[in-house]
Amino acid sequence: MKLYDELLKDYRAKEGLKTCINCGTCTAICPAAEFYKYDPRKVMDIVQSRDEEEIEKLLKSDFIWYCGECMSCVTRCPRKNGPGLVIMALRNLSARLGYFTFSEKGRQLYPLTKILTGNILNYGYCVYPDTFKWEDHKESGPVWKWHLEHIGDTMARLGANFKGEGPGVLRKIPQKSLDELKSIFDVTGGTERIEAVNKFSKAKAEEMGMDMDEYFRETFEHTSEGHLNSED
Amino acid sequence: MKENIVIVGGGIAGLEAAAQLLDLGFKPIIIEKSDHLGGHVADWNCLFPDMSPAKDIVSSLIARSADANIFLNTEISFVNKLKDSYNIMLSNGISIITRILLMTTGFSLFDAHRKEEYGYGIYDQVMTNKDLEHWFNTGDDKRINNSAMNAVGFVHCVGSRDEKAKNSQCSKVCCITAIKQAIELKQKFPDAMIYCFYMDLRMFGKKYEDFYINAQRDYGIRFIRGRVSEVGENIDGRVIVKAEDTLSGKPVKVTLDLLVLMAGMVCNPDSTKVANMASLPVDSDGFLKSKDNVADIIESPKEGVFYAGACTGPKTVPETLAEARAAALKIYLYIKGLE
Amino acid sequence: MIYQGKQKIWADYQKEIPDNHWFYVRSCIRQNFFPGAEKMFMEICRDLLKKDIFETENHTTCGGIAYHCDTIPQETVMTIVARQFALMTEAGYENYVASCITSFGNYIEILETWKEFPELETRIRELLWKACRREFNKPKYVAHASDLVYKYRNEIAARAKYRLVNRFTGEPLRGVEHIGCHYAKMFPARGIGGAEYPYVLCGMIESWGGNVIDYPERRHCCGYGFRQYHVKANRGYSLSNTHKKFESMEPYHPDFILTNCPGCPYFMDRWQYVIAETEGKTYGENGYGIPVLTYEELASLVLGYNPWDIGLQLHQVAVEPLLDKIGIEYDPAEKYKGLNEKEIMRPELPGVLRCC
Repeated sequence: MKLYDELLKDYRAKEGLKTCINCGTCTAICPAAEFYKYDPRKVMDIVQSRDEEEIEKLLKSDFIWYCGECMSCVTRCPRKNGPGLVIMALRNLSARLGYFTFSEKGRQLYPLTKILTGNILNYGYCVYPDTFKWEDHKESGPVWKWHLEHIGDTMARLGANFKGEGPGVLRKIPQKSLDELKSIFDVTGGTERIEAVNKFSKAKAEEMGMDMDEYFRETFEHTSEGHLNSED
Repeated sequence: MKENIVIVGGGIAGLEAAAQLLDLGFKPIIIEKSDHLGGHVADWNCLFPDMSPAKDIVSSLIARSADANIFLNTEISFVNKLKDSYNIMLSNGISIITRILLMTTGFSLFDAHRKEEYGYGIYDQVMTNKDLEHWFNTGDDKRINNSAMNAVGFVHCVGSRDEKAKNSQCSKVCCITAIKQAIELKQKFPDAMIYCFYMDLRMFGKKYEDFYINAQRDYGIRFIRGRVSEVGENIDGRVIVKAEDTLSGKPVKVTLDLLVLMAGMVCNPDSTKVANMASLPVDSDGFLKSKDNVADIIESPKEGVFYAGACTGPKTVPETLAEARAAALKIYLYIKGLE
Repeated sequence: MIYQGKQKIWADYQKEIPDNHWFYVRSCIRQNFFPGAEKMFMEICRDLLKKDIFETENHTTCGGIAYHCDTIPQETVMTIVARQFALMTEAGYENYVASCITSFGNYIEILETWKEFPELETRIRELLWKACRREFNKPKYVAHASDLVYKYRNEIAARAKYRLVNRFTGEPLRGVEHIGCHYAKMFPARGIGGAEYPYVLCGMIESWGGNVIDYPERRHCCGYGFRQYHVKANRGYSLSNTHKKFESMEPYHPDFILTNCPGCPYFMDRWQYVIAETEGKTYGENGYGIPVLTYEELASLVLGYNPWDIGLQLHQVAVEPLLDKIGIEYDPAEKYKGLNEKEIMRPELPGVLRCC
């Protein structure tokens, strides 16, 4: 299996990588490049090189996980590339092959998968009050803490249909619809992806001597030195 | 000789070809849509590499071609293909039967407004290469403030090598023009910091590399290898430019008093219009399609139709003049062959 | 700044937006953080302007956030979206309006991808049938909810009780607009005004009496970054990008920020609180922050709705300074009450950021 060929099976790689001239237009306005030691131009250059060894390194590195997928790069590239799309394809492949567990930022795929696919399959939403805890999101401020503590009242005041039947804000999504989502996950590879991320993460947790709760906290909260531009 | 030769376009290619054809004994007809001769070069101030005044070249060409039949403010209304000639109807009502058509329709300057992210026509301190030449000629442009010119940037490849702008071609002359203009500005504002943002520096012509060396060594112009991604405006009206210095791999942000966009050469829509009337093919880059892009650049695939200059793609002034002379010779031989 | 230059660009990027009959899909983030905004969208468009906007309880997340956090494959998100389209088709609608920018971008990206790779659309149709026994037509038109409010902006202005004018000085209020990245950065022609100078929010501000401020980092992302926010360890990314925007807009002293993206108002609101608490810096006047509003909230304010009925109490940055400038009457004691004036506790006050 050639990594480059695998990558190019992904529509996002096909769309995102035409020919790159290393002009740096993407990096110039990249929010991630300003914050992290990151350069989307270099990602494009490595993929374009078709150097299997370099691509494997990339898939196992923190580098591909720095992007925020804002897609600002797509607007500006003079060659109609989309570095953000190539990043998505790289991440997809890294997840499939389990290479994401080789890097700290890659390992964050475990908590992300747990939170987001959990919310979708359990509630039908990507973000949901029951799992958006103030303790994990202190930046959400005292007002969010208050909102969560009185959510029945605050939602009622604003005419939401929180956990209610029928349409409306934060309604309860009918079980039949949730079942359909689960079924979609099963037939489209969503479930398989969750299982793969869990399998590789378990192996990594074991290697790191952690149980899955510890691994979750570690990957969700811990950041090492050396990722940031400001750390030179 | 009374053979009609119609030259479409009174820029330097048309004028040079006309002058040569006059020398060869013909009396060519020049059709020019604007009210003056000399085309884009007439708007320019100095030409690289020897800083020769553009007006000297243009006035000498005009003098040498003065005996041609010249129609200013005239466009081609339609072209009828007859058996072995063309009937060309002009906007002034005159119609000409000719066996020889020389296209010297040149190029259009890329409309810099279209690179929206560079803010031309939106941010006060953004101008084009052409605007700057105009300032060199007249000293009149409110964007240039003689007392506050501390930092100036030049953006290469504006509308060139840009698939989004639907122009994938290199405009060839902008790299050297940027260096020329950077030096000229530096001469006028010796304390200003001057930046050139480029993707590649294409210093292919005679003495271009020397120019580049001068710019670095004698004028301290800073070359940043990165394409400008975005321009914004500060509260004081200065422009903020974002690029990546790709050689160091670091995003750079500079605040400038003036930003000059090196608008590139794109095919002239009027050229395409005439080409359509005369059923001339257009190449994949939008410029007129030659019989062969190596051996027969000045010949069209159509009998009796010839090209010279930037109507077939970006050209420098000397290249254009050389093609005009070659086209004149080709036409001469063609007519001889007809006899 | 040459205003006419922008007008020229705006004229190039107008969309023919259908006037009526919309299938509405909600936003995950907005339902959590700005539940009043979506309620007001329905109230203004459906009840006030009498437009036909249909919602079914069976629609779900579009999966966009999970997709952009790289937790689900492309086929999964496409099939979730295909199911939403099926719900639209079954309900007899052809115009699709999304409350969320991530969703809007997601829908447009998927439709464009199918256009380029028709075999993928065929495959998704098969997957949807296999998973849900549903079939779908593609929408005739996909709009973002802000496109609709933009379209109705003059009707809203005609009914407005207030204008965006500072009642103390008589000057137009100064608004900063912030557009969600996925609105037009991927497909500029799909956004009103394009990607570089979007007009969708400017048009509202101008129509309602305010002035729009352009500032150097206007186009910069709010800093959501999906995984860069959802993972606690990465949140510095999000904060630092918002910080950059605030530093850039600070000299212009905006009276408010208007947004059309779900995440942006949340981040621009909450990171102001964090910057205040950690650095002691505030960007509004007298220790307040700069209020950040959604377009429905701003529309509701000019229409004269009670600020606490539209959910402005759920903002961390106090909106009262803005209400006072516009001259909107409000009862401070009512701010944190439940339904029917039910007494519930008040949120704690931040240490530095001034709140009411």
